[in-house]
Amino acid sequence: MKNLNLLLAGVFFCVAAVWSGLLVTAQVQLGSLGRAPAEEGGPLFPSREPGLAIQGRAVYVDLGCVACHTQQVRPAGQGSDIARGYGVRPSVARDYVLQPQVLLGQRRVGPDLANYGARAKSDAELAAFLATPAAGVNHPPYAFLTAERSAALVAYLKSLRQDYSSPEAKLKQ
Amino acid sequence: MSQENRPARPPGRPPESGFARLSRTEAGLRGPFLCFFTSAVLWLVVASVLALVAAVKLHRPDFLGACEPATYGRVAAAARDTFVYGWGFNALFAVNFWIMAQLGRFEFRNGWLATLGGATWNLALTYGVVQVIRGDLGGFALLDLPREVGPVLLVAFLLSALWSVVAYARRSGGQHFVSQWYIVAATFALPLVYLLAQLMVLWFPTVGAVQALAHAWFVQNLLFLWFGASALAAAYYFVPKILGRPLGHYYLAPIGFWTLFLFSGLAAPAALLGGPIPVWLQSVGVVASVLGLVPVVVLAINFLSTLSVDGGWGRSWNSTTLRFVVVGVVSFLLFGVLAAVFSTRDLSAVLAFTSFAEGQVQLLTYGAATMVLFGASYFILPRLTGSLWPSTKLVHVHFWSAFLGLLVAVGAALAGGWQAGHQPSAPSTPWALAGSVAAFLLLVGHVAFALNAFGMILASTTPTSEGRHD
Repeated sequence: MKNLNLLLAGVFFCVAAVWSGLLVTAQVQLGSLGRAPAEEGGPLFPSREPGLAIQGRAVYVDLGCVACHTQQVRPAGQGSDIARGYGVRPSVARDYVLQPQVLLGQRRVGPDLANYGARAKSDAELAAFLATPAAGVNHPPYAFLTAERSAALVAYLKSLRQDYSSPEAKLKQ
Repeated sequence: MSQENRPARPPGRPPESGFARLSRTEAGLRGPFLCFFTSAVLWLVVASVLALVAAVKLHRPDFLGACEPATYGRVAAAARDTFVYGWGFNALFAVNFWIMAQLGRFEFRNGWLATLGGATWNLALTYGVVQVIRGDLGGFALLDLPREVGPVLLVAFLLSALWSVVAYARRSGGQHFVSQWYIVAATFALPLVYLLAQLMVLWFPTVGAVQALAHAWFVQNLLFLWFGASALAAAYYFVPKILGRPLGHYYLAPIGFWTLFLFSGLAAPAALLGGPIPVWLQSVGVVASVLGLVPVVVLAINFLSTLSVDGGWGRSWNSTTLRFVVVGVVSFLLFGVLAAVFSTRDLSAVLAFTSFAEGQVQLLTYGAATMVLFGASYFILPRLTGSLWPSTKLVHVHFWSAFLGLLVAVGAALAGGWQAGHQPSAPSTPWALAGSVAAFLLLVGHVAFALNAFGMILASTTPTSEGRHD
């Protein structure tokens, strides 16, 4: 490795080979995914987020909620997510096609939120929880949120649903 | 290995410097080195304070609860960014360049360019961290600075770090050593990876799940090919140099080098096991993670065979530099084994999303890279400043606080993660408390290091070889 050009060429090959092998291939495989019905003629999923939920997503990102909450449900053989009630089916790539920035998360200090909308409390209860969490719950108080931001965050959290069938992950009847 | 006008040295042993006074090589890089180093130490103290606040908030979520900028997500992101981009990058710029200049006898004549790069880097980072605290952060760890900061950091990186490649290209005598390969490769690979990740995640986002994969690939490369490779370069330099003997089984080093660079990035999908990416990618990630044991074995043979001869371990303990560096080497080997073993499906299924992965990252970024950087500082700074370390007590406080903090932080994260994976309903507070204790210990150590380092720099006189603490 006395020759600089050879060394750089080798390193470039390592990076380029892995990048094209993993990322370009993945983009080719998944890049054309879009909304789809579970069965022909059915409604398209995932649903588009309502406007208030889009604002709420920005609040979710600003507060750094992704540091403690994931949004991905793993299949039954890979962890106990479904058994713990986080979802009714595993998350698939199609679930995220409408998200400009996916928020899969890497750590669960709190519960997974991929399908939170399906088990959420009422809007008022959720807003109250965010402002003043119940004693003993390891969640910070967000009393500083204005009513508008709180309502938007609640709308976003309630919009999180993966309880529909998709071509890759059918719900069990 | 040809040598011109130079006495022969055995392969696997870096050339001696032994300068009585500041050499021309060192004189040229003194200014840029001190610029990067002082910035790095300041960022380290800031990162330590933020990390302590974040650690406390994990078991006292109402701590500073009324203050929106102190939200856990923001503080944790700011702590991570200041540690990685503030401390890690600045310190690696400085140490990498010093090693390259020493090994290549490179006389640096354009220090202002590197200093300009350093100033740009730190200004952009300061802006980015302030924006993160204000709530302008993304959803991907280590890519969470505002996206407009990315191109500035990239340019600053090129101005600051590419001198290492120049130093290799213009080295005198044509000699080469394993440390140089690692630094050149790391310096060349990281901007490529950063650019591609920025494009795929922030500027022209790919379809949902591919973003997550691109992010995992970026983090994997950042950890292994920048922090890991740079730390290994320094370890490869200091261990044989201070022990005064050739590196054991040096002929294996190229195998370790190339396998590290090939398998590290390929292992990225292992971070998304069970996630919404194709199963074949997950399998590739697991296989590459296990193959990552190959460079770890090579590194273990290189370092352990060098340290196990002629009382090497004992001599390492008695050298401030080597004490830190050896902790770094052992941490890297441990990290490599953990990364391979715990990427398998069964273990990942249990430990994913717990603090276990965080413990592994700490083992690399702090246990390996930071400890090696501390060791390098104790070797280099007296040579460049011509001053003694002002306080031996602070050196001891620094080592023991950093070492114990590392043990407690990594131990609590791994044990807490293991418990959370096996008993999700068990209370996590004791482990979070231990994390706060570790963060406090690290802060104490870093303040001691900063006081000593700034005391030394302020007392800087005409550089001589006296007063070295290596």
